[in-house]
Amino acid sequence: VRVDEMMPNIPKTPRQRKEPMGVLEQARARLHVSAVPESLPCRELEFGNIYSFVEGRLLDGTGGCMYISGVPGTGKTATVHEVLRCLQEEVDDSNLPEFQFVEINGMKLTDPHQAHSQILKALTGQKATPEHAAEILDKRFNTPAPRRESTVLLVDELDLLWTRKQSVMYNLFDWPTRPQAKLIVLAIANTMDLPERMMMNRVSSRLGLTRMTFQPYTFRQLQEIVMSRMKGLQAFEDDAIQLAARKVAAVSGDARRALDICRRATELAELAKTPGRKSAALVNMTHVDTAVQEMFSSPKIMAIRHASLQEQLFLKAVVAEFRRSGLEEATFLQVSQQHECLCRLDGVSVPTMSQLSGVCSTLGASRLLLVEAGKSDLSQRVRLNVSQDDVMYALRDTSQS
Amino acid sequence: MSKRKSTGSAAMSEGACYSELQRVLRERVYKISAPCDVAGENDLDKPRRHLLDLIQRCSSMGESNSALIIGPRGAGKTMLLSSVLAELKENRDFRDNVLEVHLNGLLQTDDRIALKEITRQLQLENVVGNRVFGSFADNLAFLLEALKKGSRDSQAVLFVLEEFDLFAHHKNQTLLYNLFDVAQSQQAPITVIGLTCRLDVIELLEKRVKSRFSHRQIHLFNSLTFDQYLRVFRSLLVLPAEFRDKKFCGKWNKHVESLSDDPGVTSILRKLYDTSKDIRTLKMFLMLPVARICPSHPRLEMSDFVEAHKILTADSKSNTLHGLSVLELCLVVAMRRLSDVFVNQPFNFQMVYNEYQKFVQTRSYAVQSFDRPVVLKAFEHLQQMELVRAAEGAGIGGRGQKEFRPMLLMIDKSQLMQAIQKYPACPTEVKHWANTL
Repeated sequence: VRVDEMMPNIPKTPRQRKEPMGVLEQARARLHVSAVPESLPCRELEFGNIYSFVEGRLLDGTGGCMYISGVPGTGKTATVHEVLRCLQEEVDDSNLPEFQFVEINGMKLTDPHQAHSQILKALTGQKATPEHAAEILDKRFNTPAPRRESTVLLVDELDLLWTRKQSVMYNLFDWPTRPQAKLIVLAIANTMDLPERMMMNRVSSRLGLTRMTFQPYTFRQLQEIVMSRMKGLQAFEDDAIQLAARKVAAVSGDARRALDICRRATELAELAKTPGRKSAALVNMTHVDTAVQEMFSSPKIMAIRHASLQEQLFLKAVVAEFRRSGLEEATFLQVSQQHECLCRLDGVSVPTMSQLSGVCSTLGASRLLLVEAGKSDLSQRVRLNVSQDDVMYALRDTSQS
Repeated sequence: MSKRKSTGSAAMSEGACYSELQRVLRERVYKISAPCDVAGENDLDKPRRHLLDLIQRCSSMGESNSALIIGPRGAGKTMLLSSVLAELKENRDFRDNVLEVHLNGLLQTDDRIALKEITRQLQLENVVGNRVFGSFADNLAFLLEALKKGSRDSQAVLFVLEEFDLFAHHKNQTLLYNLFDVAQSQQAPITVIGLTCRLDVIELLEKRVKSRFSHRQIHLFNSLTFDQYLRVFRSLLVLPAEFRDKKFCGKWNKHVESLSDDPGVTSILRKLYDTSKDIRTLKMFLMLPVARICPSHPRLEMSDFVEAHKILTADSKSNTLHGLSVLELCLVVAMRRLSDVFVNQPFNFQMVYNEYQKFVQTRSYAVQSFDRPVVLKAFEHLQQMELVRAAEGAGIGGRGQKEFRPMLLMIDKSQLMQAIQKYPACPTEVKHWANTL
């Protein structure tokens, strides 16, 4: 059985899925990250640049490279897809010559060299090993063919195509420079200085200087993005959206986060809805605030509060040992001596060493402590993974009860 | 068997009663996964609701999601998920709508194996029997293509990743990236649920993987109070109302009630609760007492609990020391003295031998005197038991003479003293010597 003769698919459901009914459900469907709008708000400038770059090359029938960078969640891939959709529309109106679009993603390849195979498969439908595919592609882009249409190649997650010899990257950026190739490469990655940092000189010089950086969204832009998705739907109080936007912009400027927070907030609003009234449940500040807390807060303090008595005492002993020695690291033996003192002070029965090392490894498993492998026994080194102040803060109220 | 059937619901013979009792109790105590419904219901309610909503919406509305369940070991993460799934599966719509894929980080140690397992569990077309064909790259491409072809109308796929933190150690986190990416784009509806005990699991994710993860975290803690803990203890031992012999059942349940009020038993449970709050430890603690019940030992006695607690909390080092010969014990005492004098600095065999010689000459008067090769053999035996280990940086691979290799003692003073006190027929001179520590 040849793999390429089969049709990959997931079976259809025997049942119809429900359409979103209420206001909040509709809001949730629109807020899902997958519901990418027709045109992205706040990325008009970048759209224009990429569009004119690709359009120019298509009209001239030449090739070229463009490097697009930006932190995750700033709309790079979505913008490029939108550009290509618009160009395709132009082609359909026969304002532009026809072109072929190929997309590869570094993260979806098991090995950088697989890029060759995938490009070849997308262009011609042929299946070949990576080495063979590279040869075929090389020949294809080197031989003149007057009727060949242009090719737009989108390379997402470029940094994963790095190999020791960088042959994959070299090929990708070398082919567009050939006169007959008519290849336009759009490369996307996260870091701005990737060409200088990772690539050899001959690779980065072929990439050229056409660069574009997507800045993280500001809070106004995030607000606009959420508002545009909520157009014509009264589900949010304005302040609620603003809070979400400000919180996210302060941390990362990632649009996915803002959308996720808003979506979670609609769920919380639904839970809090009084059963008597049917509608008019708006998502307000408290819902968004709870959602932000859920997603961004660190659970370590809660984990310490819920730990058992001996585990709490052990953490205290670690802090006590650190304060005594002034170092940020102690051996298990030293901590166990402090632990014994603390137990006697509190009038708790002193656990045996075996029990205590059990306690230590439980704390290590949940990463409240960083511990060496238990094999090194009494001399195993213990560090805190929480700040000392957090430990004391978490244990302050519990010790009185 | 036939006899039990014929007697029906009336009184069973005593032996049958006890074997039935054993069956019921062992089922609860020995099976880790058996759900424990009393455990802090109010606390579990919120996370349960969240999880239920999440999975339900994926099946009914085709909404993709990703979530992580985080909690210490023994907090009931798998139990929560399986009870939610069991509840949902009662609905026929759900069963028709959802395909489940279960992965475990301990079994699927790299993406290659994980992909094969996913393909197998989804029964995609490149599966023949239980074998998956094609290379790693083919498998990935095939799976992604299948998911991409799907739309809102295809069956939802529920991915359960146990030991999620181990998946984050795979190369490039390819599998996680692709799963999260599918969950965030317009493809077949999938829900990814990860279970892990690491609190800092999100920091393990690469930034682009992290950005695609929807940051829903469901935290579970061992939040039982001691009263609830006692209630769990009772519910583990109480016989169900369906028990055939009502009279026996009533008597037994009254006995369990009286046990949980007994101050002796509660004080032992308190100690157990203080070291670890999870139910798993409690069950482990109950194993021995439960196994002891039989017609000739019809009740759970205080002594059973005391003994079980003693076994559970026994110090392994001092138990090992009990099995040593007197010469080996002498060497341990000598090493302890050296560690005290040089404050945890490493020592070598020669130093230990000298210390031992001093003891023989001043205190033991040749009673405990042995030749040097014999002492070296004893030292090597201690090394094999890992009571003595090579100090860090010293070549463990056998560089340097073994008499002069720097070593460290792995026994605390308190453990040694405890062991000496209990050592059967310990010579007085050794005892005296140890007491001068």
